[in-house]
Amino acid sequence: MRWYALGVSLTTFLITVGAYLNGYDPDIAGLQLRQVIPWVPDLGLGWSVGADGLSMPLILLTSFITTLACLAAWPVTFKPRLFFFLLLAMDGGQIAVFAVQDMLLFFLAWELELIPVYLLLAIWGGKKRQYAATKFILYTAVSSLFILLVALAMAFSGGGPVSFEYSDLAAKHLGAGFQALCYAGLLIAFGVKLPIVPLHTWLPDAHGEATAPVHMLLAGILLKMGGYALFRFNASMFPDAHVQFAPLLVVLGVVNIIYAALTSFAQRNLKRKIAYSSISHMGFVLIGIGSFSPLAASGAMLQMISHGLIGASLFFLVGATYDRTHTLQLDEMGGVGQRMRKMFAMWTACSLASLALPGMSGFVSELMVFVGFATDDAYTLPFRIVIDGAAAIGVILTPIYLLSMLREIFFGQEKPELSDANLVDAEPREIYIISCLLVPIIGIGLYPKLVTDSYRATIEQVVARDESSMKALTAPYLPLRSAPKLS
Amino acid sequence: MPSAAEVAWLIPLLPLVGATLVGLGLISFNRTLNRLRTPVAALLISCVGGSAVLSYGVLLEQLNGAAPYEQLFTWASAGTFNLQMGFCVDPLGAVMLALVTTIALLVMVYSHGYMAHDKGYVRFFTYLALFSSSMLGLIVSPNLLEIYVFWELVGMCSYLLVGFWYDRDGAAHAAQKAFVVNRVGDFGLLLGILGLFWATGTFDFEGMATGLSTAMADGQVAGWAAVALCLFVFMGPMAKSAQFPLHVWLPDAMEGPTPISALIHAATMVAAGVFLVARLEPLYNLFPQVLTVIAVVGTITCFLGASIALTQMDLKKGLAYSTVSQLGYMMLAMGCGAPVAGMFHLVTHAFFKAMLFLDSGSVIHAMEEVVGHEPVLAQDMRLMGGLRKKMPITASTFFIGCVAISGIPPLAGFWSKDEILGQAFGSFPLLWAVGFLTAGMTAFYMFRLYFLTFEGEFRGTDSAVQQQLLAAAGKGDETVHGHASSPHESAWPMTVPLMLLAVPSVLIGLLGTPWNNRFAGLLNPAEALEMAEHFSWEEFLPLAGASVAISVAGIGLATAAYALRKVDLGTAVAGRFPAINAFFANKWYLDALNDKLFVQGSRKLARQVLQVDSKVVDGVVNLTGLVTLGSGEGLKYFETGRAQFYALIVFGGVIGLVVIFGALG
Repeated sequence: MRWYALGVSLTTFLITVGAYLNGYDPDIAGLQLRQVIPWVPDLGLGWSVGADGLSMPLILLTSFITTLACLAAWPVTFKPRLFFFLLLAMDGGQIAVFAVQDMLLFFLAWELELIPVYLLLAIWGGKKRQYAATKFILYTAVSSLFILLVALAMAFSGGGPVSFEYSDLAAKHLGAGFQALCYAGLLIAFGVKLPIVPLHTWLPDAHGEATAPVHMLLAGILLKMGGYALFRFNASMFPDAHVQFAPLLVVLGVVNIIYAALTSFAQRNLKRKIAYSSISHMGFVLIGIGSFSPLAASGAMLQMISHGLIGASLFFLVGATYDRTHTLQLDEMGGVGQRMRKMFAMWTACSLASLALPGMSGFVSELMVFVGFATDDAYTLPFRIVIDGAAAIGVILTPIYLLSMLREIFFGQEKPELSDANLVDAEPREIYIISCLLVPIIGIGLYPKLVTDSYRATIEQVVARDESSMKALTAPYLPLRSAPKLS
Repeated sequence: MPSAAEVAWLIPLLPLVGATLVGLGLISFNRTLNRLRTPVAALLISCVGGSAVLSYGVLLEQLNGAAPYEQLFTWASAGTFNLQMGFCVDPLGAVMLALVTTIALLVMVYSHGYMAHDKGYVRFFTYLALFSSSMLGLIVSPNLLEIYVFWELVGMCSYLLVGFWYDRDGAAHAAQKAFVVNRVGDFGLLLGILGLFWATGTFDFEGMATGLSTAMADGQVAGWAAVALCLFVFMGPMAKSAQFPLHVWLPDAMEGPTPISALIHAATMVAAGVFLVARLEPLYNLFPQVLTVIAVVGTITCFLGASIALTQMDLKKGLAYSTVSQLGYMMLAMGCGAPVAGMFHLVTHAFFKAMLFLDSGSVIHAMEEVVGHEPVLAQDMRLMGGLRKKMPITASTFFIGCVAISGIPPLAGFWSKDEILGQAFGSFPLLWAVGFLTAGMTAFYMFRLYFLTFEGEFRGTDSAVQQQLLAAAGKGDETVHGHASSPHESAWPMTVPLMLLAVPSVLIGLLGTPWNNRFAGLLNPAEALEMAEHFSWEEFLPLAGASVAISVAGIGLATAAYALRKVDLGTAVAGRFPAINAFFANKWYLDALNDKLFVQGSRKLARQVLQVDSKVVDGVVNLTGLVTLGSGEGLKYFETGRAQFYALIVFGGVIGLVVIFGALG
């Protein structure tokens, strides 16, 4: 069973890699690898997929993480068939989210992917799984209603034939008020997913109850759907509204970084701690999206990829540690580094990656956001100083909670309560999974152009459009700087 | 054949390759590799050795007047932004390269002896090689951003090495403290780098200085903003080079193995801050205010370190505070606009302080045979004494180190410290006075360490003192696990590096005599010429004589108090001024303040935010859920199955709508 699942996910991964290598030219900003099959032509419904710089890296990430999640799910013994079925269904749903080019289809894919997550949480979760699963499904289902509403509203307004195709929707000239309304609706929908504080409370519960492979997918890919969609819809389709909302995004991003880092520090439950750390890292994505600098936007995209890898690795390690200690409470752990040295080494490596150590991907992406935002002339100087300064506080907070966590789990003398626990050191399968994740993490950290080049053209196109509508703005409001630009 | 400068990229790369290979081996074939201690050590030592050979090649080329060499490639790009990385060698870098590789090499040889019985031997050598690689990378960095990258990496290595004995709680806390305090400095450094990039559009050292001055001339950047940016950047060196008030991590970092204290926390990494300030000289020279701040911070640090060192009973802690104090001297030199003097003190200090730390390691190693592997006992000088007869090599090299750091001519410390004091005398007479006083304190506390450790009677077997110390450390119930009654001199891998380090500790100062300063001649030929021209014995002798006099006074006091026991300082000073004594002994209460304000404060804040998160934010969500549930519960009674009832509701609804629209329309 698990071999089958692994085979399928691996094949998917290889196909996506093949598509990337053969059919994809990173220098083209527009869509590639198109496939369009009309379904209900009268309503403009159809099967329409393709990939551009926004989707391609995330599709690769999805198939990569899913393959590793299948490997991580090796010890699942409870209803394995259903488990692996759901895992693969999730894979399909997520790739579809990134690949489809039709908003109604997007909505379907978005919903399709929720069901496996719900079931995976509700059946294989921890003690409070019912509560967590229900919360998750309510949160996301309610928020995705907004997607449907906006999709319908957009398709039927603005004149022209009814179509849900992204390119048709983007070409429509919509009124400012209508744009803002659509933008706000989508912001709520995707803000739940990313998540944006205060729409985040489903995440610690869902993460706190999920098993390790589900965790990897939740942190690795699910959160990125929010960021991707913000890029795809909010930033690309409503440039005028984006100009109005961008400062809000930036402020929310900083709130995310600091607020979640503080909560993470106070958390005593390991899974919830890492979950909040994910929220904190997503703040950089928000700042990047809200800026008008190609560098910062590029950094946001890289942060999604980077966090996909780092988050997945940390959550996998949480699962692997839980299998041994049978507790997630930090107070009940301590000194487990004595017997689990390799585990300790992997934890240290991944935590350092997460706290943005240079030489690893997190550093590059956060630095790109920092530098990009600091040099973004769209915002006034005081605003930039405050935002960059506040975001840099995250640079201090992240090591505080991550290193405290390491200290409490691994350092010191082993707690006597743990003497019964079977603290065997990491097995080859686990080392293999972590190395698979660390190789791209370090690879990106050493030479980021490897990845940034694959989406550079698309991001620049998106930002250029937003920037031009920013410049066309007649009555700019704080903290946006009015034209002419400071040279 | 390419010149050494052209292949300088190999200097950081060689140890990195070695460390990576061994690291991968440790993960994959842990047991096998842990058995291959000597081959692993030989491999890593030869990697660092290769770097050392190249470094000396680079230094020779620079001495022969080769031009600085730089090579760059595009590392990241987006939009119009291009970020270059690469490597560069110039005289400043060449000196540091030679220094770091030399000390790293000697420390590795020493570690072969010191860590011989440690089960983490291979891991230790891997970390050492990794550290050497990052430190060398930092030195060859051609721009501020690349320095920041390696800056963080050396911090990580320091974290790993301070926490090397991870079963000790003290080590765990110290490692975390070191990393977090350094991150506070890096916060400023990062913001400063961002600001400077915004103002000048470059990360290049020279480019930033010229860019900033033109930007100020054009009125694009206000003067106060430029000063603020420079001060922000200075926060990085403040943390890394343990300057007040960010010095608090360095004494705690002594929890790491002693070779680490010698290499990282005395000779190389902590000097990186001074090195960075020297690199940024063109920038800082634009702003006299910034230089003043640097000089004042350096002087405070200098005095603070020495004053705390006066009362320390832990041998390593004493040396650590001495390092803090000496780093303060270097910063003072930077603040006086004399980076050459500061760099010269960095070099001389690196040799004798590394030697002193390795000596203390040798002592601790010997003490552990008597009192067991308990740092509270093995490092406390109340249990030492009389070690000179038992460990002659260690004692004599320690003595040389004491004389060198006290500033007695012609040993190394005299020339470099005197140059700094001379510069300070010209720029900030008040700061000179403090530095001058500190020189006397330095001589006193160093000889206090020497006499307590090596002279008198051996007190290590005094079980009353042992129990007292254990009780004071809260470990009263532990027993002492010694297996020898008297300590022995260490084996050759430990003594040979000591003897080798003694040579430069004595002689290297002669490279920087004020009348023929060959060191300045390499770094800044114009300045050296000027110094030689303006040199006059009439100016030199009074200042130098005063320095020597106060040092001799300090040594004399220490001799009277601790060797001859003529003066009882305990009653004479500590008894008469208990407040001052307590102030120094409690490290100016900075640790307590730090703990109360930042550690407890941040924990409390975090807990409050978490409360808000789970009660307020999540509370609203759950309340919504509850209301929905409640309304559903209520509504279910309407589901009666009677069609008339439904019709009634529909009818009521329609009426309601009509009324509403009527009212609106």
